[in-house]
Amino acid sequence: MFYLSEIEHTLRLPPHLLNLPLNEAIKGELEGLFVDKVIANLGLGISIYDIRSIDGGFIYPSEGASTYTVKFRLVVFRPFVGEVITARLKGSNAEGLHLSLGFFDDIYVPAPLMPVPSRSEPDPDNKNQVRWIWKFDEQDYPIDGVDEIRFQVHNVSYPSIPLEQDRDSKPFAPMVIKGSLDADGLGPISWWI
Amino acid sequence: MKILEANAGALTNFEVLDFLRSRGAGRDPTRVIVPILPSEFKVYDYLEQTAACNQTRQVIDEFLGKCKSIDLAKAEILNIINIRPSSLVELYPIIEEYDTRFGEAAETMEEFVETVVQLLPPPPNQMQSEEEEGTSTDQKEAPDEEKTEAAE
Repeated sequence: MFYLSEIEHTLRLPPHLLNLPLNEAIKGELEGLFVDKVIANLGLGISIYDIRSIDGGFIYPSEGASTYTVKFRLVVFRPFVGEVITARLKGSNAEGLHLSLGFFDDIYVPAPLMPVPSRSEPDPDNKNQVRWIWKFDEQDYPIDGVDEIRFQVHNVSYPSIPLEQDRDSKPFAPMVIKGSLDADGLGPISWWI
Repeated sequence: MKILEANAGALTNFEVLDFLRSRGAGRDPTRVIVPILPSEFKVYDYLEQTAACNQTRQVIDEFLGKCKSIDLAKAEILNIINIRPSSLVELYPIIEEYDTRFGEAAETMEEFVETVVQLLPPPPNQMQSEEEEGTSTDQKEAPDEEKTEAAE
């Protein structure tokens, strides 16, 4: 789920940070660059774990700032295919479920990966939402958002930034997890306990 | 930016939580003084809801020792520590090709689930339900005391 990744980065340290100790100043700059950002094919940056080395400090001609080469380790969130994760329900429509981890929201369970046989019904409490119901042994098991939901990672994709976007399309997500509920032991926790 | 090593080691949920705690998350109720970013607090809040919040290094070390008797992949052990399955059915999706690998060894897997339940502490929502049961019995006792007082 979480990994450490070692990264080397060359960054320009603006002169207004010169009053801070070098370590702190560089860490602050790195946090602005990498934390809470998705790096393609690497994952979502969670936190700077440690700084391995700081080299350089050159001032290039006609520049008012020093440039450092930093090696550091970053904690990244990168789920592997087949991993089971608990999440909360964020929304649901006829196409499937939208789940959230709190710090990461772009998790979708499409209708073909819902437990078989299941159907969707309009939600009586909320007009824009539907309620998914799994039918098992003549009994209905609804997904109502009260419980945490366990899903299995089906794939993780890093879509490239679109050149043009429609006005009403949903915001661009740099990392999308496709989840599956179609196996024993997956779905709301109350189904199994 | 150059990625030197994309995978320099996997972390369990507990290790990430421990790392955030070591930097001061959780001790400061205002969440302003400690040098932790809002996005890191979101991760912290999520991890506090999972089974990782009560785990300790000793517990995980002990559990890893027990895992050696069963042929499990590293990722599966990691996933078991993160999820803490409390029944056999919760273990099915975590383990790849469960039926071919462990389909015949139902007893050993049941024992394995028992060690998981015994060693790893339960997640907070299950703890709460246990506590609620405890308080409900207390409440039942409490009115009796009042009655006795009233009778006196």
